[in-house]
Amino acid sequence: MRVETIRAAGGRPAHIRHDDLISAKGVSVVMARQLVLQNIDLSVPKGSFVSLIGPSGCGKSTLLKVLAGLVNPTSGSVSIAGLSPVEAARKRMIGLVFQDANLLPWKNAVDNASMLLGIADKSLSRADLRARGQEMLELVGLGDSAHKRPHELSGGMRQRVAIARALALDPAVLLMDEPFGALDAITRDSMGQSLLEIWQRTGKTIVLVTHSIDEAIHLSRHVHVMGIKPGRITESLDIGLPYPRDLSVAENPEFVRLAVQLRTMLRASHQPGGAS
Amino acid sequence: MSDQTVANSSGSRLVSSWGAATRSWLPAVILLLATIVIWEAVVRIFAISAFIIPAPSEIARSLVAQWGTLMQATLVTAGEILFGFLVSVVVGIAIALVIVRFDWLGRALYPLVVLFQNVPKVALAPIFILWFGYGLAPKIGLILVIAFFPVTLSMLAGMQSVDRSLLSLMNSVGASPTQILFRIRVPHSLPNLMAGTKIAATLSVIGAIVGEFAGASDGLGYVIQFASTQLDTALVFAALLLVSVLGIAFYYAAEILERIVVPWAPKFSQS
Repeated sequence: MRVETIRAAGGRPAHIRHDDLISAKGVSVVMARQLVLQNIDLSVPKGSFVSLIGPSGCGKSTLLKVLAGLVNPTSGSVSIAGLSPVEAARKRMIGLVFQDANLLPWKNAVDNASMLLGIADKSLSRADLRARGQEMLELVGLGDSAHKRPHELSGGMRQRVAIARALALDPAVLLMDEPFGALDAITRDSMGQSLLEIWQRTGKTIVLVTHSIDEAIHLSRHVHVMGIKPGRITESLDIGLPYPRDLSVAENPEFVRLAVQLRTMLRASHQPGGAS
Repeated sequence: MSDQTVANSSGSRLVSSWGAATRSWLPAVILLLATIVIWEAVVRIFAISAFIIPAPSEIARSLVAQWGTLMQATLVTAGEILFGFLVSVVVGIAIALVIVRFDWLGRALYPLVVLFQNVPKVALAPIFILWFGYGLAPKIGLILVIAFFPVTLSMLAGMQSVDRSLLSLMNSVGASPTQILFRIRVPHSLPNLMAGTKIAATLSVIGAIVGEFAGASDGLGYVIQFASTQLDTALVFAALLLVSVLGIAFYYAAEILERIVVPWAPKFSQS
């Protein structure tokens, strides 16, 4: 069962809906003779918050890498605002956040936040970069930690710097691969809430890979459930809960209903699929 | 974790590290003093001949009597070590950079470097004397072949252990291989490099002494050889003592350098 939005975007590239920022069609990836992703159709509307959820080995991280231009699909195509992912990345349209913040330990928070921008745009002066880094740290709520080195920051703060670093590029889309996966539950909740606020303030399009049902429902507008063997999108679910959402959304009966539904879908996605 | 706790923990860490330092040094000092006392006693009680094992007091007397000669020799040896060490570090870093930056050259060079590591380099000393004479050059050459390897190897390990997703980030914004090398790989390798540098400092001392054994007219290695032919064992021990002091000094100099170069290294920043 596919939700209607996916069907609508499943046409030929000539018919890309103009409000879709990202559109993947028939994407398959073969790695080491394994079919990692099978025939993925995915459309991400501009300005939306989309989550990919699924069991380990469903290829959700690989799909994110395909969207980022880090992995070439074996077949199928991906377009980001009409460009290939690699072209889009070169135009600074893609911001990446991984599970590990990967900050440079020899640079302080503000220099880490502007590090990628400095490489992408060589015309910017050191002062420009600092100013931009500082602005982004303030956006993620770390304005007063600019001069701290990564080892002086907590795990959540480090991940905030990683988000600031991605946002400094002013990308059209933020691709996040389990960004809060290594954090404790409380920090994770508050990071999710911050991400929602950043999303609403900046209007970025966000694609989030997660394995948390609550996180997916709390944050996203659309959730795509992925299954294993081979990795594929098995179900899609629209989250109708109104924004702005806060953590109390978890007490909403609709949230509970969606969580049950998503859990059922996930359980089914653990079964290896046939050649459908 | 608030600012307050960070500041406090580093403050108390400083205090406790003093306490810990005293506690960790004290047993070693006691054992050393005890060894000296027992050594002195054994030599005296059994009336062991001074040219076989000189008593610590005999070594001290020799140290004082020959102070001028020994200091002159120490300076010569220290100069060889310092010069040879610096050349080893520079050459070691250069080889590592070439191996990482130029893939095909690296694949050609790396196996040869490893192969060369299996040559017993001490045995090269006579050849170096033959080629470069009795001056500074053969000692530098010998130190270089002994000490560059840990520098190259540690820096390579550091440069090659950069997290893949960090490289993905760099690639996604179109960073060039040279940018990745100098902005990420080289700084990332510095903690490893400094560890290799400390090993190189220790090996440099060995290189200098071996070089002097093989052929020299000055330096602590020369004093050791000369004194042993004279059966002046106390002077041999006095020179050995100074060689050890030099080794410790160079090791700690490298350690201080490490704190200056990589204050952000994980070993300094663990709370």
